Amino acid sequence: MGNKQTIFTAQQLDAYQDCTYFTRKEILRLFYRYRDLAPQLVPLDYTNHPDVKLPYELIGSMPELKDNPFRQRIAEVFSEDGEGNMTLDDFLDMFSVLSEMAPRDLKAYYAFKIYDFNDDDFICKSDLEKTLNKLTRNELTEDEVKMVCEKVIDEADLDNDGRLSLEDFQHMINRAPDFLSTFHIRI
Amino acid sequence: MVPSKNRLAVSCPTEEQNLIKELVALSTTEQIRKIRELPVSFEEKKHVRLVESSKGFFSKYVTGQYFALYLSFIQKCKEDVYLWVLLCCFLPLQSIRRFGYNIKSARQTLQLWQGIMKEIGGKFGSSVLNYFVLLKWLLLFNIFSFLVNFGFITIPLLVSDLSPNVSPNVSFRGLELLTGAGYFNHTIMYYGSYSNETFRGLVDYDMQLAYFFTISVYMVLCGLVLIFSMASSFKKNYALADQASNSAWQLLCSWDFSITNEKAVNQRKNNLRIQLMESLSEKAHRERQTTSEQLKQYGIYFGSWLLSTGLAVGCGASIFFLCQYEDEVRKSTYCCRNPEAETLLVPFVVSLMNMVIPLFFSLFNKFEQYSSQRKQIYALLFRNVLLRISILGVLCYYWMNMVPQKFTCWEPIVGQALYRLVIVDFIFLMLGSLFGEFLSNVIGTRIQPRLGVPEFDVARNVLEIIYAQTLAWIGIYFSPLLPVIQILKFFILFYLKKVSLTHNCQPPRRSGRAAQMKTIFIFLLFIPFFVGAVSIVAYTAWSLTPSEHCGPFRGLNSTFSVIGEWINDVDKVSSTEWVVWIYQNVIRSEVFYFLITLIILVIIYIFWQLIQGRKELIVLLRKQIANEGKDKSFLLDKLQDLQKSCPKVNKKQKKRTTVCFARFYSKFICLQFFCCCCCFCTLPNVLFFFSTQADAQLSAPLEISPTQTRWFRFYSLASSWRKRRDAAPVAFQSRRTFPPPAP
Repeated sequence: MGNKQTIFTAQQLDAYQDCTYFTRKEILRLFYRYRDLAPQLVPLDYTNHPDVKLPYELIGSMPELKDNPFRQRIAEVFSEDGEGNMTLDDFLDMFSVLSEMAPRDLKAYYAFKIYDFNDDDFICKSDLEKTLNKLTRNELTEDEVKMVCEKVIDEADLDNDGRLSLEDFQHMINRAPDFLSTFHIRI
Repeated sequence: MVPSKNRLAVSCPTEEQNLIKELVALSTTEQIRKIRELPVSFEEKKHVRLVESSKGFFSKYVTGQYFALYLSFIQKCKEDVYLWVLLCCFLPLQSIRRFGYNIKSARQTLQLWQGIMKEIGGKFGSSVLNYFVLLKWLLLFNIFSFLVNFGFITIPLLVSDLSPNVSPNVSFRGLELLTGAGYFNHTIMYYGSYSNETFRGLVDYDMQLAYFFTISVYMVLCGLVLIFSMASSFKKNYALADQASNSAWQLLCSWDFSITNEKAVNQRKNNLRIQLMESLSEKAHRERQTTSEQLKQYGIYFGSWLLSTGLAVGCGASIFFLCQYEDEVRKSTYCCRNPEAETLLVPFVVSLMNMVIPLFFSLFNKFEQYSSQRKQIYALLFRNVLLRISILGVLCYYWMNMVPQKFTCWEPIVGQALYRLVIVDFIFLMLGSLFGEFLSNVIGTRIQPRLGVPEFDVARNVLEIIYAQTLAWIGIYFSPLLPVIQILKFFILFYLKKVSLTHNCQPPRRSGRAAQMKTIFIFLLFIPFFVGAVSIVAYTAWSLTPSEHCGPFRGLNSTFSVIGEWINDVDKVSSTEWVVWIYQNVIRSEVFYFLITLIILVIIYIFWQLIQGRKELIVLLRKQIANEGKDKSFLLDKLQDLQKSCPKVNKKQKKRTTVCFARFYSKFICLQFFCCCCCFCTLPNVLFFFSTQADAQLSAPLEISPTQTRWFRFYSLASSWRKRRDAAPVAFQSRRTFPPPAP
């Protein structure tokens, strides 16, 4: 546990430890994973806060994400510019929220953002249809897709406005105890 | 995509100030927890942390108890001293936190099998992972048991040189590893080798008391741990879980983000599609059943339940007769070839039944059609549990009633029987893995490709390890070092199952509700199996006479009378009379237990009524939410009409309050609303109170005061809107804007 690393200052590491759910060792390990995606772009010295952003294509090619149907949305939600290009901070933030120590409300908030394809703070029918198509490889017919989406809105919409707000979504998550273990990426 | 929309930006200065003020008032760990939970980008979290830590330092150390110290330093009034105070007080805090983090990461590296479990979870999902987690948990139970037994019972015996002598004509043959008799009979493995004396030395160490208390304290601790984990698991995974929102759950919550294998992902997508189609057609199918079909269904249920119960009872009876037959053979004059190997017959038959009969149960299950898959699993589990309980029950009856009368030194005999059961069960577990997984894989891929690669049957495997642990729990009294065998068994089993899983099985097709199954497994572990084991041991200690010539309780009427004797000894010392008083008036008196039971029943009744009340409250709150939705759409229509009629609305004012209020509203309402609803019993009174207040508040520009909780604010605003809606529908200027309706 020696302080022999020269990548971050002690204050930076403290800030990372305080703001994410990772330990020091995990933060350093994640830094090396980040660097492995593009060794020529990422410097080994972060003490002077370099402004390095990795493009989405590199992030989406990580083994943990490359088969995930929602990888693009995940990258977009956690990146600063909304396009999927991530700095190291965004990278750590993403895996911190998706780790097993993040609380349910935080995960529910980000899951909502991920499923909200058109970014209007509501999960409407088109968002649900896109989600369904991503999860079933576009193999359902139009009618079946419509039926499923209607059923979902029926079941989960509490305030009867035809779409799911964050409260509806969180209410549903509260009643799904598996959510904490399914909304979880191991790294 | 506009970047600022992606995160809930703490951009409103008043909002940030309020957040900082809130954070400063909390303790350090709470502060860190709250910062981590902020749903904002990393930069903003760091900024909040920095601002809060500098402010927090002042507010903590300048106000309150450190004020005097600070004043005395300030009176000396040198800038360096001031800085020095800052550093001295701030830095230790930082280093303490850093030390805490170091401890945490060191602890993580010590955890057993962390990497393997991550791998399994990633490939097969959390339902299969539950099996391995349970296995690891039970292994820890056994490790603890071994340490406690070895430390308190065996080591004093070895140290005091009263360890049993093995007679010279008994030598170690290989068969002892299987039968546990012969050479092992004279070692510290079994109850019979422990002495009943008190070792005089530095401290008087009473072996009888040590044996009794070690076993009973271990059992009580196990029971407490099980109860707590069962209760917390139940609260988290069962009480709040809802079955009504099946489709919504499947679509939005069931996708496992941790699966990284492309094949597994494609398979999951297929399965999800099939499940969604099934759930859509299930309703239609249920409506189509006629009366005759329903009668037929019930007939099938009745028949299969009758058959299963008959099978379980039949197995129990056959084991009983087999034990008696073995006894007769042992006593009869003609000597069989190898009397020791004959003792392996009963464990062999027991394990064979445990392996073969569940296959019949699965067969029955295929004919029955349950309305949900979960009911199917529960039915199967119940039948398997019934089978194992009946076999174990019969064996325990035989051991408790027949064995003490036939042998002089009967506890080691029971210990040996349990040892044999444990070993043969282990062998059959390995064989079961071979047949269940390896052969099924071979059949599924080469011989009959229609069957496909097998899945890992979590329920069956979990039941097997629960049964194995029950044997160990029963056996601890008769053979204190049985946990050693159990540790080895579970250790080897873990690696065996892991290899078998990765080579032979595919990920489960149905994304079942793993968390609820975990609760069921812990419940199963506790209620029939652990409680049964403790009852057997308690019955032995209470009612049965210990054997006369061996063991730590020789010569006593019952094991429990060791306590009576100890109390008599304690009574002679005058300073500890309260112990005797407690023993005689609390533990031995029946009135005490009667009173306790009565009080517990009353408390249960009160909680039950509370739950009924809260259920009604939930229904009311749901109606409230539906009302809010109607309010929202009404106001939206009104706003649209207004916008059409007078287009020059004060856009700037709307924007400023909109951004702050909408974000603040959504953030705090969503965080607090559903968490607080059950704790809020005086809802009508509070609503009335704040609705009168809110009328005055709404006329002023919207200021968010942190003192008034968000909960009250929501309701106050809601009820006042409703009043205005009913009273003056025309002249109403909405301060709240809603997102424009989707095109």
